[in-house]
Amino acid sequence: MARARYFIIWKELDQKRRRVFQLFSFIIPLVTWAIISYCPAVWHPMVKVSDPGEIAHFKVDAMILKEAFHRENAKAVEQHRRPAVGVPANPVYLPAPHEVAASFYKAFVTPPRLPDEPWLHQSLWHSITVIIWGFLISSAVAVPLGILCGTYRLFSYLTEPFVEFFRYLPAPAFAALAVAVLGIYDGPKVAIIVIGTFFQQVLMIANTTQRLDPALLEAAQTLGARGIKLFSRVVIPGILPDIYRDMRILLGWAWTYLIVAEVVGNSTGITWFINQQAKYRIYDNVYAAIIMIGIIGLTTDLVLAWIGSQLFTWKSRKKSVLSRLSAAYASSSKVKPGFSQETP
Amino acid sequence: MTSHDVFLPSYREQSPEVRARFRKITERPVVLQVNKLGKTFDSVKGEVQALKDVSFEVHRREFISIIGPSGCGKSTLIRILAGLEENSSGEILLDGREVSGPGPERGMVFQGYTLFPWLTVLKNVMFGLEVSGNSRGITGNTTEQEARDWIEMVGLTNFADSYPHELSGGMKQRVAIARALANRPRILLMDEPFGALDAQTRAKMQSYLLQIWKNVDVTILFITHDLDEAIYLSDRIVVLKANPGEVQEIIEVPVEHPRSPEQFLSLEFLATKKRLEELIHPPRETEEMLPIIRMTQIGDDVY
Repeated sequence: MARARYFIIWKELDQKRRRVFQLFSFIIPLVTWAIISYCPAVWHPMVKVSDPGEIAHFKVDAMILKEAFHRENAKAVEQHRRPAVGVPANPVYLPAPHEVAASFYKAFVTPPRLPDEPWLHQSLWHSITVIIWGFLISSAVAVPLGILCGTYRLFSYLTEPFVEFFRYLPAPAFAALAVAVLGIYDGPKVAIIVIGTFFQQVLMIANTTQRLDPALLEAAQTLGARGIKLFSRVVIPGILPDIYRDMRILLGWAWTYLIVAEVVGNSTGITWFINQQAKYRIYDNVYAAIIMIGIIGLTTDLVLAWIGSQLFTWKSRKKSVLSRLSAAYASSSKVKPGFSQETP
Repeated sequence: MTSHDVFLPSYREQSPEVRARFRKITERPVVLQVNKLGKTFDSVKGEVQALKDVSFEVHRREFISIIGPSGCGKSTLIRILAGLEENSSGEILLDGREVSGPGPERGMVFQGYTLFPWLTVLKNVMFGLEVSGNSRGITGNTTEQEARDWIEMVGLTNFADSYPHELSGGMKQRVAIARALANRPRILLMDEPFGALDAQTRAKMQSYLLQIWKNVDVTILFITHDLDEAIYLSDRIVVLKANPGEVQEIIEVPVEHPRSPEQFLSLEFLATKKRLEELIHPPRETEEMLPIIRMTQIGDDVY
């Protein structure tokens, strides 16, 4: 096999190498984490006591700083007491991969400590509903407004300067205000996500709309399209795939506001779960929950990307699954032999 | 360089057939009349006059080309005619009525194809018929039938359901022509439509265009910078000069119809080309020499 040349600018790699490297993007951090967790020589600044010996303030499973442990043991030997035994360990806030992996399952089946507290899946679902509401409310106004701003200069000048100003105001700064206006339940949380998303969304959609190929507008005009038809039959279909892509990016941003939003008012959702577990010092669960957010985000995005490629085949330049199925159906039940489609 | 001493007749000499044809053309009604058209741009260096007092007439079913050196404003001119830019002075009359703004009666074919990428070939061709608001086409057929007829005419029946990105450049331009013609424009404006195509495809497209023009009731105004293309296709050629863009001469092409690629070497063709060359690339006293020092071995000369 020819040597792949990796350092040619913009040179695409072949399918196999691409997959391997994509896999490595996950394997590298995982392996790093495993090395830190399983190789005592790398870090392990603590000692986990397995037998306290005759040291009064040591207990089984206590985590002691390495130097303190050795100091106490030396002291014990000097005073002819039985020294403690322990194994090197990482601090409690860095659990090993297998512990986190186990808590992926454990966290879901462990009942909450207090009867009126939500289960993990309930917390997660709560977070998702907050995101969905925030994102829907923001989009309902920002998308039409953004498209108008990108299409008509009037709207652009009328809104964009203020939006530019407002987007520098950090959404969490409105937390206290949101609670005062909307109470302590989900209202202010949704509001934070809306404030965090809306202004970026208007600007992004306006910018995308402006990038429509002006030659298409000109062509449509010479074909007799004007006014609302120009808008509905050229502007909208022309920008739709790019708007869709923007929405995917913005949905990701909405997630980043979630953690801030959820501590506003009474803490709820995945953030509440994370904070609660941290309070109990069950860090495996904290990691599991954080990773869960990542998995939900990435999966949503991959699914949305796939749906997008099916919806906008003219942009993705692929045949959609639906059209392939119908083509397969048509060829299997073909009535007219000799009817062949010439391919370019 | 020596000039080859081939005797060429004057480009003004016309055979009786050609003369008769031009007489017939001038008897037809005037479709497009351009009167003292002017266009000035504001630039950092002050006002720039792109077009000045451009006047010409196009008769019904005439094929007229506009050529000129780069920067002569030929693209500006056709964009003004299409209504995509505004003129600073003068007027444009279509069938005797002044026009402003773009409209379907002045169809346009662009160099960049400008097909709607989200629509199939069929839907692209139907676009004009649909936005004009008739559910029935101009001939009384449904718009779809009518669009299919136009697609058939440009030889793309099998590609009616394809998307533009699945087509080659030449095919895209055929769709663009069908799309513009489906509106039954009074005049078809073509802005260097074959400029982005390779030489072979371009020759094929020229022959298609002549066939279409012969069979469809349409008047064509064609912009090009290719002298051969202008002579091969046109009845008349409007030659512009640059700075400001003015009409230098309007040439009646003495090459007989029907046109074929063999005529590229006919005396009338060459005579016309010689004249165009003189107008567009006037002979200079001294050729511009680059200040290059010799960087090769002595005796290692290419000429």
